[in-house]
This record gives sequence, structure tokens and C-alpha cells, in this order.
Amino acid sequence: MKGTMTRSITVALAGNPNAGKTTLFNAITGARQHVGNWPGVTVEKKEGVLHHGDLDVHVVDLPGTYSLTAYSVEEIIARNFIVDSVPDIVVDVVDASNLERNLYLAVQLLEMGVKVVMALNMIDVAEGRRIKIDQTTLSQLLQIPVISTNGKKRIGIDGLMDAAVATAESPQPAVIRRAFYYGTEVEEELSLIEEGLVKSGVTQESQSARWLAVKLLEGDEEIHKKIAEVSGRDGIFEQVDHSRRHLTDIFADPPEIIFTDARYGFIAGAIKQSVTTEPTDRVHLSETIDKVLTNRLIGPVILLVVLYGLYTFTFQGSEPLVKYFEAFFKWLGAAVTDIVPPGIVQSLVVSGIIDGVGGVLGFTPLIAFMFLAIAILEDTGYMARVAFMLDRVLRGFGLHGASLLALMVSGGLAGGCAVPGIMATRTLKEPKERLATILVAPLMNCGAKLPVYALLIGAFFPGQKAPMMFLLTLISWSMALTAGKIIRSTVLGGPSAPFVLELPPYRVPTVRGLLIHTWERTWMYVKKAGTVILAVSILIWAMMTFPALPEEKVKAFTDRDENLTGAFLGNPEAGAFFKSEKDLESFEKFRAKAPTASKQALEKKNSNFVALWRTLEELDKQEQDPGITITHSNLLDLAKAYDDYSKAKGVIAVELRTARLKNTIGGRVGVALEWVFKPIGFDWRTNVALVGGFAAKEVVVSTLGTAYSLGEIDPNESLSLAERLKGEPDWNPLMAFTLILFVMMYAPCFVTLVVIKRESGKWRWAIFAAVYTTVLAYCVALVVHSVGSFLELGTS
Amino acid sequence: MSPQISSQKCLDCPARTDEQCLADRTVKLSNYKPGQKGRIFQVCGDPDFRLRMMEMGFIRGTEVKVVKYAPLSDPMEFVIKGYHVSLRKDQAGDILMNEPEMAA
Repeated sequence: MKGTMTRSITVALAGNPNAGKTTLFNAITGARQHVGNWPGVTVEKKEGVLHHGDLDVHVVDLPGTYSLTAYSVEEIIARNFIVDSVPDIVVDVVDASNLERNLYLAVQLLEMGVKVVMALNMIDVAEGRRIKIDQTTLSQLLQIPVISTNGKKRIGIDGLMDAAVATAESPQPAVIRRAFYYGTEVEEELSLIEEGLVKSGVTQESQSARWLAVKLLEGDEEIHKKIAEVSGRDGIFEQVDHSRRHLTDIFADPPEIIFTDARYGFIAGAIKQSVTTEPTDRVHLSETIDKVLTNRLIGPVILLVVLYGLYTFTFQGSEPLVKYFEAFFKWLGAAVTDIVPPGIVQSLVVSGIIDGVGGVLGFTPLIAFMFLAIAILEDTGYMARVAFMLDRVLRGFGLHGASLLALMVSGGLAGGCAVPGIMATRTLKEPKERLATILVAPLMNCGAKLPVYALLIGAFFPGQKAPMMFLLTLISWSMALTAGKIIRSTVLGGPSAPFVLELPPYRVPTVRGLLIHTWERTWMYVKKAGTVILAVSILIWAMMTFPALPEEKVKAFTDRDENLTGAFLGNPEAGAFFKSEKDLESFEKFRAKAPTASKQALEKKNSNFVALWRTLEELDKQEQDPGITITHSNLLDLAKAYDDYSKAKGVIAVELRTARLKNTIGGRVGVALEWVFKPIGFDWRTNVALVGGFAAKEVVVSTLGTAYSLGEIDPNESLSLAERLKGEPDWNPLMAFTLILFVMMYAPCFVTLVVIKRESGKWRWAIFAAVYTTVLAYCVALVVHSVGSFLELGTS
Repeated sequence: MSPQISSQKCLDCPARTDEQCLADRTVKLSNYKPGQKGRIFQVCGDPDFRLRMMEMGFIRGTEVKVVKYAPLSDPMEFVIKGYHVSLRKDQAGDILMNEPEMAA
């Protein structure tokens, strides 16, 4: 708590999409931002605080909108924030090179009666196009301060904040604006409605009464609902209905059209007085670029190349970092094993928490690289061209150009998330296309599936990471589109919705903007891993640990183990080398650590141990390459005997591990499901992982990790999960590929199902989504597994 | 879709055949070729669509230029009020234009 109260004001940042609002927001708030969601929806809400003079300025970035009609959820959010939270000032970010359309939002803001300061952004682009804007005249016409800014170069930021604070602090209220005079007939009806609003006590303030009257006359459903919530206002709605009919009769157009026309009329006048455009023959660079990038023949080819490049960048670019992260968690697990005594706590921390969370967090660099690549596509403006080029295709499958963005967010470029993707469908007004998009979005390759793919591709298709990811993207898209087509021609038949897509000029993104974008999304991924995944990892660990195998059954294994050790030590040569069982144990420990130990450390150790270990290493190499000669031949017989002993011991360990797992709750579920999944080649361990994946897809990796590392005889063994799976006899490339496809398509995680329910309003759509995807996954897996087994593809 | 249904849906804008447009000397925007430009005569279609189009600047008398067609001939790209926007062909068919003049 501070001693003196710091006064604070709230600034809302409004503006069209592509007007450079985010860049300006970044320039204003710097790194002091907080990203969350607007209540009830997953539209991003960005906030930041800065100190201006003795004031705390709280900046809220409203969603980018073209208008404040309740057309999309973004428009409703922006409007409700202004109406309900009453910011002290609204900064309207305007693209100076595209002033006319941008002023439409400005006019709507002014109509709302809020204090507005205009940021005339991207003035350099306008100047490049020989557009000259007379700021003074524009400011006089609109009766608000107009400040030119350049978010990218951070020019005019201080001036903008000065003006915003000064206007917010000024005792003068926002100008009561009758400047938008809609003509005698309209004004008459407006004042009748205003009168009703004031009389019935909905509002006392004339400015807000005027705005509400305009909105009601426009037939705005949101405002209608809000006023209807206050009971006994029926008289108002009768008046509104009467006025709408009356005006429609006179103008042969509904009032909303008349208002829009009038606003653009006012804007046209303002433009005429304040803007001069020199005619120029120069073709803009952006258009020249576009001629190539969206060219009928070259465009689609470039699109494929860009997507392919994206995977190469993401997977190969992040590879070294991913290796560092994996090595860190491996080291952490080993370190904890050394410190914490063996037992339930060690098992919880190492197998439950570190293996589980580490398996997911290890992929953080990959996720970050993917987000960076997507941010580049978005910020340069190429993403809109992708929608432009592919709309015809999407429409053919009963979807919408805007579906593309939702599918992209869901993981169209691999690495998204179906939850925000499904939320993004709110821009789709047509309910059928929206629902179809919601239902197919979970088929995309979301970020949670990537760790599964990366694990299996890394283990079984090591040389083909990029082509495999490319193939998986194609498969996921074709599945989603086919499902979309089927859904839209059966459960959801009907015509298509309008498609209005702005193609903004190509821009060079700012490094700062890209990094902020990437960081925010990556951080959300990490947070998810830190919370949901942690809880699920512990739950799954418990499922895979309890109940423990009964003592007498464990004893059968330990007896076998002891007999084996006894027999080995009974061998005279071994008996001479290892004086006791303890000696043997300490050699085992030494052997586990030797490969990573330094030369000096080795020299300090028991020289007999070092010699035996070296012989064993050579023996190992000889197995793979018979040409190698063994130098420590005096220990050769002992080494061979030890090797046999060690391998036999390993077999017992695996059998014990299997018995233990099968006995647990998880194991029992997996076994119970075996008859279902046997035809597609999954064993009970995979089944457990798939059940866990219902909580969150990345849990498939952590569960497999847990399944294959639990009960391990030597926890210091430094095999990664990928290496371990490769060593399992049941696993082959076909099995890996079948599992990848199954994970891609089967039931969305429960978070997604909850969102589907919320967005579609009905549980039956969520259930439908879970059932149809699982059936689809099973059928595809069955076909791949059967055909693959028959042709013996990838079975060795 | 029959003309009667459309005229009920859209008060001032009966669905027009190409022949009718010819009689009015109006052309559907979807019939413009890349490089052609002209002024909007009227925006048709259902009220939601009309409002959306008008908010994006598709107002009577505004100049629209066809930049190009997408690789699959649909959607189309236009320049209007200094910005680029893309519409599907069937939507562009709801926008009636005066006869085109070739861009300089």
C-alpha cells in the first residue's frame, strides 16, 4: 500500500482490425501488459498500466472491430465495455491510409457520447500514398483531439497520452453531438423514442437516451434485450416498432440502412474538407507483392512452400533447444533420485511430476517456434491471403472462409488449440457453418497433440520429421473437411453465409510485436502444463501405482532374482571378482554412472570396476560390429558371464514391471479395453495413455512416459522415452503411425467438450463430437493397421 | 430462388436477372472483370448482409475496382475507399453496379 493515493484513469483502445492497434498498444504499455480473457468468452483481453505524470493510466485494448453493431462477439465486447465500464477516455486508433472506412467506427464512438481522442496511426503509409490529412480541420470537424502516431517507430505516443489524459481530466463533458442530423423524419421518431426512454426511467442522460434510441431504431437485439430486462417498458418497444415501420415505408429501406448511409454521408463531407489525395501512377509495393503471392498459378504453390517452410522452421529450428530441455528434465529426475530415498515419495516426484510435466514442458521451445511462425504469418498479412485463396475450397466442404481462421487457431498449422479455435467461430454469424466448424475443429493438430507426434516421429521416423508433419497436416485437414462436408450435408444442411474479408497491405512485422505475441501464447501453454497437466500427471501416476502388487507375488520375482544372483556369484571367476552381493550392487551403480562420468572421476574409482566396465562396453560394440577386437581379454569370460546375468536380470525386471502395472487401476482399465483396441494393435499400456489423453492430449506422452518408466529396476538408466519405445518389441513404425492418427482424431479433451457445449448451447453436440471423432479415429486406425500389416509396411 | 421470395426479403431490391440489369444499364459486380472499375448502383441481399456491406463502405455511388479473382476464380478481390476486401462471387452478385469503365 502506498502512503498517498495515486489517482488512476482508464483508457480504452478502440480501432479497426489492421489499423495497427496492437502495435500502438505495445508501444504505449511496453512489457507491462497483462493478457487474459473477456469474462465468459475467450476473446483475448489485453491490459497494461503506465504512469503518466502523477497518474496511473490503465490501458485496455478492445477487440479490433469495423463497427459497433452487435454483429460479432468482438463488437459486443467492445461496445459493452464502453457502455458498462465507462472508460475515462476512448482512444480510437485510425489507419490514416484508410481513413474513410476507419472513420465509421469513430463516428459510432462519438454517437455513444464518450470522450474520444483520435490516434491518426500509420501516417507514414498515408504519406507514401500521397494522402495528405489536414489534422486541424479533421479535429475541428469531429470536435476531438487528433494526434498523429506511428506505433512501429513509437512516434507521437507521449503526445497521444498527454491528449488522452488532458481530455479525460477536463471537466468538460463529451460534446453533446447533434452533428449527425438524420433528417426531419428520422429525428422526429428518435425524439419520440428518447422521450419514452427518459419517461420510463431507463436513462436520465440525454446523450445516452439518444444513443439508445438510435440503437433501438436500428433494431439492435442486444440493446432491446437490455432494456427489456427492466420491466414495464413495453410502450417503448411499441413506439420503436411503429417508428421502424413508418420510416421503412417512407424510405423503402430499414432504419439501420438509413443511419449507415447518413454516417458515411457525414464522413464523406469530413474527408472532402480535410483530405487531399494527389493522384499517383505508382503501384503500391504491397499490390505488386500480392500479384505474385496470390497469383492463380504461383500463389497456391507458394502457399504450400510457406506451410512446408513453417514446419521445417518449427521442428528443425527448435530441435537443439528441445534437446536441452529434455536433458534438463532427465538431469532433474536423476538428481532427485539421488537425493530422495527410494519409495513412494521418490516415485511420485520422479515418475509422477518430473516425467509427466517434463515430458510436456520439454516441448516448450517447439511450441514457441510454432507460435513465432504463426505470428509472422498473421502480422505480415499473409494469413488473410491464405483465407482468400482457400475459401473456394472450404466452401465446397460446407464451411466458410472464416472457418479457416478458426481451424488455423485450432491447429491448422499445427500447434494451436481447439478451445480458442472454437471460440473464434463466434465471428461466424451463420449458425450451421459455425456449428460445423466447431465440430470439426478438434480434428486439427492442436499443440497438445504435437508432443505425441514429436515423440513418435522422433522415435520411429527420425529422418523424416518435416515430411511427416506435413503429411499429418494434410491428413488432419482432409479429415476435418470431409467431416465438415458430411456434417453440413446431413445433420446441418443449408446455404452458406456471407464472406467479407479484408486483405490488409503487407507489412514488415515488428520484432517486439512478434516476441510479445509468441511469449504470451507460449506462456499460456506453460501455465496449462504447470496446472492442469500437473494435476492430471499426479492422478495418472496414482492410477498407475495403486493398488500395489501383493507381497507374495513380488516375492516370486525377488526370489528368482536372488537365485540368479546366487548362481552368478557361485561362478568361481565372478566369486573372485565380486567378494559379496554388496560388491555386485556397487558395480551396478558404477556401471550406470560411468558413461556420463568424467575421466578424472573414473580414474579415482576402483580400477577393477573400470576395466570390467570397459570390457562390457567393448562387448556391447562387438555385438553390433563383430569386427571390433576386445583389448581387456583377461576379463572377457567374466564380462560375458556378467552380461548374460545382467540381461536375465533385466528380463525379470521387465516381467515384474509389467505385473505391477497390470495390477493397478490404470492397468486394469487398459486391460479391460484391450478387446476393443486389439484390432488396431494397441496394448493395454497404450490404452491407459489414450484414456489419460481424454483429460488433455499431451497427457498421452506423460502417461506413456509413466507407463514405461515405472517400476524400473535401475532409475539411473538414462534412456529417454523415445529410445525406450523403440526398444519395446510391440512397437514399430506402423504402430506409431496408427497411434498418431488415432490421437489426431479421437475424442477431444474434456476442456474442448465443455467449450463445445457452451458454444453450441447443447450437451448433445459435445457428445456428438466425442462419439463421431472416436468412431472416425477407430475406423481410420483399423484401415491403416490392417492394410499396413497386410502389406507389411513398417512392421519391423 | 424465385423473385417473389427475394423481393419480400429485401424491400427495394428484387433479385434481378442479367437481362433486367441490362435493361437498367446496371451490371452485377460479379460480372466485372479484373481491372474494371465502376460505381455502386445498389446493394441488394438480405438486410444483415446489406448492413454489413454498407458498414464496410459499400454505399451507393462509391467506386469499386476489381483487383483480381482468387486462384479458383472465387472469391474476388476489390479496392474500395482505398482498402482491399474480398467477397464471394455470389455476394458480389448482390451488388449492382453502373456500367464499368476500364481503369486507367
